Amino acid sequence: MTGYMVDTIQVRPSSLDTYLALVRDVAVPVMTKAGATFESCRATSPALGEDVDVQVTWSFADHVEWNEIRKNFVLDPAWHDLARRAAPLRTGGTRRFYYPVPDTVSGPVSQR
Amino acid sequence: MLRRYEMYSLDPAAPPAAVRSLADAFLACGRFIPEVLDSAIGTNLTDTPVRLVWEHAYESPEAYQRYMVHPFHACILDRALLADSPERVVTSNDFGAGLVGYACDGPVYRLPKGARRLVLLDLAGDDVGPLAARIAAHAADVDGLAVSIVTANTMGSAWMDGVTPITGRPPWSHLWEQGWESLDALEAYRDGDSPLAVAERSGWDGTPGVTVRRSASVHYKLKTG
Repeated sequence: MTGYMVDTIQVRPSSLDTYLALVRDVAVPVMTKAGATFESCRATSPALGEDVDVQVTWSFADHVEWNEIRKNFVLDPAWHDLARRAAPLRTGGTRRFYYPVPDTVSGPVSQR
Repeated sequence: MLRRYEMYSLDPAAPPAAVRSLADAFLACGRFIPEVLDSAIGTNLTDTPVRLVWEHAYESPEAYQRYMVHPFHACILDRALLADSPERVVTSNDFGAGLVGYACDGPVYRLPKGARRLVLLDLAGDDVGPLAARIAAHAADVDGLAVSIVTANTMGSAWMDGVTPITGRPPWSHLWEQGWESLDALEAYRDGDSPLAVAERSGWDGTPGVTVRRSASVHYKLKTG
């Protein structure tokens, strides 16, 4: 079953561009090289007077594949450098894994 | 069986509740991943730069491999552990003992209660036999020492499948795992003048064929779930 690792990171608005550049220039190449698939990067507005949520989603085929991906990035010095650079930019955040659910919820398509 | 230790330094800025959650997750691990046996945790009482210790075991490499791919491992444990996780509560350190362990024929490590001590050894060579023999010759005479195992740290480099080394020789090549009836008994040993304590304090001088380049230890009161 496909899995999705969703990091929801809080950063100060002044750090947003730096954080997004880190995702684009370092995280995507490092994680992709390890075997993960980059799904999306979205952010809340930086103009609301509060920290910005940056939500980055990676996917993998299943937890067997994730274990291999994990091994690959843990052994990659670039991933450790990424972690070192990202940490001071965060003011908070969560990491959660998601999985597809049975199509039992009526959505916009089925309501047409 | 595979005997395994994870040892972590903690981020002083980590919320105490998050640290407790990680410790609880270690203790609860066997309920979610039945392959995880004999989970216990402790807070290191030595000045070694490690704070939280999780000790546990697996029946076989196959059992360990099932743990590695279990969602509880990735979703709950790694949330607090991986360097890039926003919920990380541990810190990186260069102590080199994040993961250590060894293979054994049965639960020789088992200690229902008391205190655990793990001596980390960096030997110049690979043969720990003479040192193990020297320790075995005196271990039975030490009051309160219920478990004494001297062995190579095979898990330090074989952390992916429990068998195959994927990194080089670990910084701590060998281990002396001890189980004590109580912390008092451990402290009495450390402060005492038994042949074993004297030899340990000397850096194992006089052990033929064995050069201990350096050693360190952690110990803690055992907390089980």
